[in-house]
Amino acid sequence: MLDGEMTLSLFALQLLNGVEYGLLLFLVASGLTLIFGVLGVLNFAHGSFYMLGAYLAYWIAARSGSLFVAMLIGVPMMLLVGWVVERLAISRLYSRDHLSHVLLTYGLVLVLNDLQRFLFGSDVHGVPTPRPFSFGIALGEAQTWSAYRAFTSTICLAIALAIRQVLLGTRFGMRVRAGATDSEMVEALGIDVRRLLSILFAAGTALAAFAGMLAAPLTTVYPGMGEGVLIVSFVVVVIGGIGSVKGAFVGALLVGIADTFGKVLLPGVSSAIVYAVMAAVLLWRPRGFFGQAAR
Amino acid sequence: MNRRVRVALLVVAAALALVPLIADRFWVQFAAKVMISCIFAASLDLLVGYGGMVSLAHAAFYGLAAYLLAGLSNGAGIAALPASLPLCLLGVGIVALGIGWLTLRTSGVYFVMVTLAFTEMLFHLFNEAPGLGGSDGLYISSRPIAQRTTVYVAIWASLVGAYLLLERVARGPFGRVLVGIRINEARMRTLGFPTRRYKLTAFVIGALVAGLAGYLDATLYGFVNPAQLGWRQSGLVLVTVLLGGKGTLYGPMLGAALITLVEHFAAGATEYWGTLIGAIAIATVLLLPAGLAGVLQGTRG
Amino acid sequence: MAEPALETEALTRRFGALAAVDAVSLRVERGAAHAVIGPNGAGKSTLLSVLSGELRASAGRIRLHGRDVTRASPDAISRMGVGRSYQSANVFAPLTCAECVWLAAQSRARPAMAFLPSAERDAAIAARAARALEVCGLAERRLVQSAQLSYGEQRQLELAMVLATDPALLLLDEPLAGLGHDETARVVLLLRDIARDRTLVLVEHDMDAVFSIATVVTVMVSGRILETGTPAAIRASPRVREAYLGEDEA
Repeated sequence: MLDGEMTLSLFALQLLNGVEYGLLLFLVASGLTLIFGVLGVLNFAHGSFYMLGAYLAYWIAARSGSLFVAMLIGVPMMLLVGWVVERLAISRLYSRDHLSHVLLTYGLVLVLNDLQRFLFGSDVHGVPTPRPFSFGIALGEAQTWSAYRAFTSTICLAIALAIRQVLLGTRFGMRVRAGATDSEMVEALGIDVRRLLSILFAAGTALAAFAGMLAAPLTTVYPGMGEGVLIVSFVVVVIGGIGSVKGAFVGALLVGIADTFGKVLLPGVSSAIVYAVMAAVLLWRPRGFFGQAAR
Repeated sequence: MNRRVRVALLVVAAALALVPLIADRFWVQFAAKVMISCIFAASLDLLVGYGGMVSLAHAAFYGLAAYLLAGLSNGAGIAALPASLPLCLLGVGIVALGIGWLTLRTSGVYFVMVTLAFTEMLFHLFNEAPGLGGSDGLYISSRPIAQRTTVYVAIWASLVGAYLLLERVARGPFGRVLVGIRINEARMRTLGFPTRRYKLTAFVIGALVAGLAGYLDATLYGFVNPAQLGWRQSGLVLVTVLLGGKGTLYGPMLGAALITLVEHFAAGATEYWGTLIGAIAIATVLLLPAGLAGVLQGTRG
Repeated sequence: MAEPALETEALTRRFGALAAVDAVSLRVERGAAHAVIGPNGAGKSTLLSVLSGELRASAGRIRLHGRDVTRASPDAISRMGVGRSYQSANVFAPLTCAECVWLAAQSRARPAMAFLPSAERDAAIAARAARALEVCGLAERRLVQSAQLSYGEQRQLELAMVLATDPALLLLDEPLAGLGHDETARVVLLLRDIARDRTLVLVEHDMDAVFSIATVVTVMVSGRILETGTPAAIRASPRVREAYLGEDEA
């Protein structure tokens, strides 16, 4: 940093990084907020799926030589994992209280953490940036933005638009939105609903895992990575409002940008910035930007 | 309250009092550790079992008190019990008031997430702030009580005192109102109760007792580290509350004792002991929602 | 003119684009038994919820004994002597009748937040709770869990809880809904009794009961006040008949 001076291209770089981080966060947070909103379940294991996705990506990529192959194989695998977890464990939580949700999914986290260690070991692993994207995009004279980050941002944005399309334009999406504002109604709709919930949970799981795969070359793959992302995702959901994908989008970008600039401008207290933003939002709107109003 | 339970508690208290006289050093320290975890779990039960507030911030108060003691002892040379304990509790109380005020603006799942976020914030603070020892933690240069047996007696007395205090709070008029708030907060408001004030009061009381437990922990081991503040600890103490049976005060103490036992012996046996705890948590939720206290009382949930 | 117990000024509550309560200016005189009637969806329950503070007004003012309470919280309004009962039983399911009314009575205890029992204060609260149960005919059922009560008994418990707070003004939402013939008669007598020294705002569909209890009737349609008057005047009003009562009520 040049005496704390922020040149235009440096600013642009941080902004782009912030947006990219925010978009990745959105993938994780959107699944989380829909699982809360529709299934009514507090899912602590969401971060573990992110981590599992990353480890899977590393493992398959190391053996196949391609991150894309890893994604191709890994995403369906994680869809299946999500489906199984929902059928076996999550579905028992639908009529239970929050404490049950917290503890069951907390238990899942502990088990999944050990599973990850058992399968992949506790080492930190780097994942090489995929060849097509290992170059830099020039920003002004001094800065370059990683093409891979541009790639992930594009993918995340595409997924965001796809989610929007599904939610607004399909019958499935309509049911999901109805459920997100009234999970009791989902129960009243009948047997079909159980499949909806399984699909939703599996999709949310796969989204989180995919985010982990995308992030692997950027953040390296390490045992604690799920927890960090989980808690930040919770902050995003709180800020955006439970059940609101739009809120998750806005919240994720806000958090992504705030965190990135925070790390650069105030390195000592950067981790606190995110929580400060959350506290500020709570003071103003206890249910988040797009959550239902309290009164 | 159940006569049998009352008698059982008296017997346990008496037995614990005898431990330093008959057991070897290892078991004395272990019993002390169990008693501290009992205080911690019971304090959370006030929030969760009676108040319905699923707080993941509870470990933050435990760890905060420990760090405050470290700070007072290492930084200001204040270690003596009459001075350091009130100061630590005051610090915890102030922070709890602040965090409680902010988090209780939310309810339901928001509350759970927000308390988690604040726990993480404190964790990061103590993990990264310079001079606080980072992830390795800090040694406490001079402890409030150094003599082993005296520490044990102090912990024993704290357990009895904390239990009696929590029982008075939970079973008296305040506790009954708190239960009403847990069951139907909106109705309580239209009946004229300023519900947030009650919840905040319970939150702070619980935090203070948790702080006491953290203070005793630091006194016992002479050592503090950030892991005491993390969400894992918060999650773990919640497990003990559910396992033992929430809303009973003595149930969570039983749960805490069991988990401490499991933690200790499993950690020695395998590196995958987390799975065991996780399995216990999952099994409790699915099979034993009323906890062990429920089993003892003949209800399964 | 004496200050009204309750007065609203162009009170409005919107849900999105829909105004469930639309510029309602209501005046409830002290000691009146003021019924609010109207077809389903007229906004009567919403009105009660706004008056009790549970829903925030989108526009307009509410005055309780002359004090502006538009922005007041539900618990503040309750402490000002307002009691609210609900259309669907809103009790504490796992608690017994006695425990439910105890909570209601405890809300008026001073000091409000008590940790230690005090013989005198607790006796007063217990007495008030017992009286409320008795008046509502639930004395025998005091140790029964609320969830185990019959529908009619739950409605009675609703009323008992409200009475245990000793309110000067009661907001009652269809207290007779779903009651059998005998129960209805009993509750009507109870309500007439209550109305003697308190102010009542009563939302009801049972017309016989309304005309038996009420001193003033307001008719609401689509969120707005259509007409206010004595029961006889309302009964005779052609506008009201057309909008609500149908052809053959007379």
